[in-house]
Amino acid sequence: MRKTVFVVLLGAGLLAAAGVLSDAGEEQLAPLGLPPVPIPEDNPQTPEKIALGEKLYNETRFSTTGEVGCFTCHEPEKAFTDSPLKVSEGIEKKTGTRNSPTVINSAYFTTQFWDGRSPDLEDQALQPFINPVEHGLVDYEPILTIVRTDPEYAEAFKEVFGKSRDGITMREVTLAIAAFERTVISGDSPFDRYYFGGEEDALTEQQKRGFELYLNEGRCVSCHVIEQTQALFTDNRFHNIGVGINNIQNDIPKLAGNFLEADRTLSEVDVEVLTDPRTSELGRFAISHGFDDIGSFKTPTLRNVAVTAPYMHDGSIETLKDVMIHYNNGGVTDVGDPVNDFLSGGIRPLDLDEDQIDDLVEFMEALTSPEFEPSADEAEGQ
Amino acid sequence: MTKTNLNRRDFLKGAASVAAVSTLPLSAVELAFADPAMNFTFAYISDSHIQHIKGSRFVNNWDRGLIRAVAETNLLQQKPDFVMFGGDLAQLGTKAELDHGAEMLAKLNYKTRMVMGEHDYYLDLGEYWSDLFGPHWYSFDHKGVHFVVLNSILTFDKWTFDRWPTAEQRMLEMAALDNPNGSPFMVGEKQRAWLAKDLAAIAKDTPVVVFSHSPIQKIYKGWNFWTDDAEQVQALLKPFEDVSVIYGHVHQIQYNQIGNISFNAVMATAWPWPYPRSYAQAESHMPKITVPMNRADPFFERDATGWQFINLKTGRVDLEYNLYDNTDRTVAFNPATGKPEDTKYQAEDDRIAPQIQY
Amino acid sequence: MAKKQIWAACAVVGAALILVGYGLQADEFTDQDVVRWQGEFMSVVAEGQALWGSPDLGTNGVACGQCHPNAANTHPETYPKFQQQLGGVVAFRDMINWCLMNPLEGEKLELNDKRMIALEAYATYERRGVALEPGKH
Repeated sequence: MRKTVFVVLLGAGLLAAAGVLSDAGEEQLAPLGLPPVPIPEDNPQTPEKIALGEKLYNETRFSTTGEVGCFTCHEPEKAFTDSPLKVSEGIEKKTGTRNSPTVINSAYFTTQFWDGRSPDLEDQALQPFINPVEHGLVDYEPILTIVRTDPEYAEAFKEVFGKSRDGITMREVTLAIAAFERTVISGDSPFDRYYFGGEEDALTEQQKRGFELYLNEGRCVSCHVIEQTQALFTDNRFHNIGVGINNIQNDIPKLAGNFLEADRTLSEVDVEVLTDPRTSELGRFAISHGFDDIGSFKTPTLRNVAVTAPYMHDGSIETLKDVMIHYNNGGVTDVGDPVNDFLSGGIRPLDLDEDQIDDLVEFMEALTSPEFEPSADEAEGQ
Repeated sequence: MTKTNLNRRDFLKGAASVAAVSTLPLSAVELAFADPAMNFTFAYISDSHIQHIKGSRFVNNWDRGLIRAVAETNLLQQKPDFVMFGGDLAQLGTKAELDHGAEMLAKLNYKTRMVMGEHDYYLDLGEYWSDLFGPHWYSFDHKGVHFVVLNSILTFDKWTFDRWPTAEQRMLEMAALDNPNGSPFMVGEKQRAWLAKDLAAIAKDTPVVVFSHSPIQKIYKGWNFWTDDAEQVQALLKPFEDVSVIYGHVHQIQYNQIGNISFNAVMATAWPWPYPRSYAQAESHMPKITVPMNRADPFFERDATGWQFINLKTGRVDLEYNLYDNTDRTVAFNPATGKPEDTKYQAEDDRIAPQIQY
Repeated sequence: MAKKQIWAACAVVGAALILVGYGLQADEFTDQDVVRWQGEFMSVVAEGQALWGSPDLGTNGVACGQCHPNAANTHPETYPKFQQQLGGVVAFRDMINWCLMNPLEGEKLELNDKRMIALEAYATYERRGVALEPGKH
């Protein structure tokens, strides 16, 4: 109950802060440091749709055990992740191969999932339901039965979409969920107030040094994009930065070949990827079949990164400092490890010293939006 | 595939490692079989410019380019019949660079043949290179096609032998592309005489493919995108029905048709070069039909670098360019127009911003 | 004091005489001046050209001219511009520094370093005559 209330307030509060709700086709205003939220023409925002989406997001009946909902892996109180889990746990605590990415600001991605296999939030929402290690459903029937017959859902779908009974399909379900997710936006971090808001004191001296490194010796800004008037912290592209792929270097020809033979449909990709740890390291390659994408994963946003440990697509890097060390080593976690042959051209040894690494980590702390800062009496584990 | 310490001796023996079955598909390459027996592919890796810094340090950027090209070539599902290396393995022609480059090339799963580049040559006039790789020019036949490899980066004897006090100095002078003290490339009389004799025995309807480092054309003298005796070499090739020249050196996509001869440049694995027209103070003769490669983002060190595999069907070459961080490009010979064309972007209206915005 | 006034007057007269001696007003210059000053500029361009080919600007022996022969494809005429690699709108010298730090794996130059002026002078000179297009990507 408390959780639901928190989320509703959060969503409404953000909407209020962001300004007027949009009409069809218009863009939603955004907090400091972010551009307007892209709203697709065929899914305009309305308060009723958002409320319905949130209800669906928190629904546990759309899983075989009746215990798993979107919030299980994307929990509002954990910055919409399941930190500190390395990889997510679905029904019966089954695990896949992916670290849960945050829903916060996911509306700005041009593709969804670490391998970018979904073109939008609506399509993304379809997949976890039928993933055997996530919600575990065999097909969408249980969901459709509930939304068509449960009186509260029936009334809501009628109000939002003008649809009832068999007229309610997974399309309406995912439109609503996506509409809710498009309100999960956060900016206004200390960095935003410093860089876009002109508040000289918003960053500490160490964070300012970290920011200089970010733009220069750290070589961060080209993928984790900051621009003149806004910062998404992602380039929406896919890069092999030497995480995970390093472990399967010698087996790449065999694994890629197996995968291509086994995989025919997109839904199979989901299963294959999440259940085979070695295969899943091929990343975007599984979708594009291009040499360029071997071992490549989508650049995540760095907003709120300090509260969403552990890091990388497989959760294999525990702390932000470890992340910096990985980059500093030029795409290997331990110095002396072999660099994989397909490493992105953007990754190479950085030659930073310990102070510089600490400065960068400190700067990462400045990217947390106020509503996701751990409160004083919360766990200090992060 | 076990990683052993492959060295130049393994390379000389044409080392083939334990075959990792490559099951990956060739993307976007249509092999239209006219006479199926004649069809085959070969891969082309070029201009790696392995650059020694000190001790065991080499420029990381160029190393990674060659490593990646070799790794990807080894993944090809439709295996190439052989691999060509198009010249400029080293940056300053030193033993350390040639050895380091040979070590990386030794990881290729295929027979590899070499073309001489000026960066390989001008330190010791190709002596160590010959120890590693063999003759500077030669020919061979494969599945009914006659292949010729030329050393087209020679220059006037006076410049080569008399002008510079040391070999190192000579190499440095030739290494700088825009050096006004440089000297134009040429094939030279001796090789042209050899070529005439070599071609005399070949039937006029045999497809001929010439591998050369310099373009066998006169494109821009200021950067030695130039072969001084281009016309004479072209004249020797004129009598043949299907002739293709494949050249390196320019580090960019170029293609052209002169009479019966198609010209195709290959990408460098190391770094891209600007198009000559981007130098505002001089004129150049860039082939008009070339659709430029995408302009690079220098942050991504593999941007605008790549390697290529080449299909030979009906005696003409089609090149598929494997370009990192960019959409692959295919330049295929179009029998209807009689020239090489980009299969996607040839028409002006089909160009995209990265090809125009230079 | 009278003495001071006399000295001042002498100074003024002296200055006027000097100027008259040159046959100039204070704000005129001659063709020879222009030639001389152009030469001063070209001497720095020459320095820049030497630096452009130098393997010592960074730490890995790579020279600017390896990728930018005759400073081609550096586009000084488009600055200031939004530079993707630096996350904001910057001047030409900022991009020169980016290259020094990245492909050349070196350290950036102070903005008033003589070498920076020389590099800028050379690259801009090689682009002379091209119309300004500030902000062009």
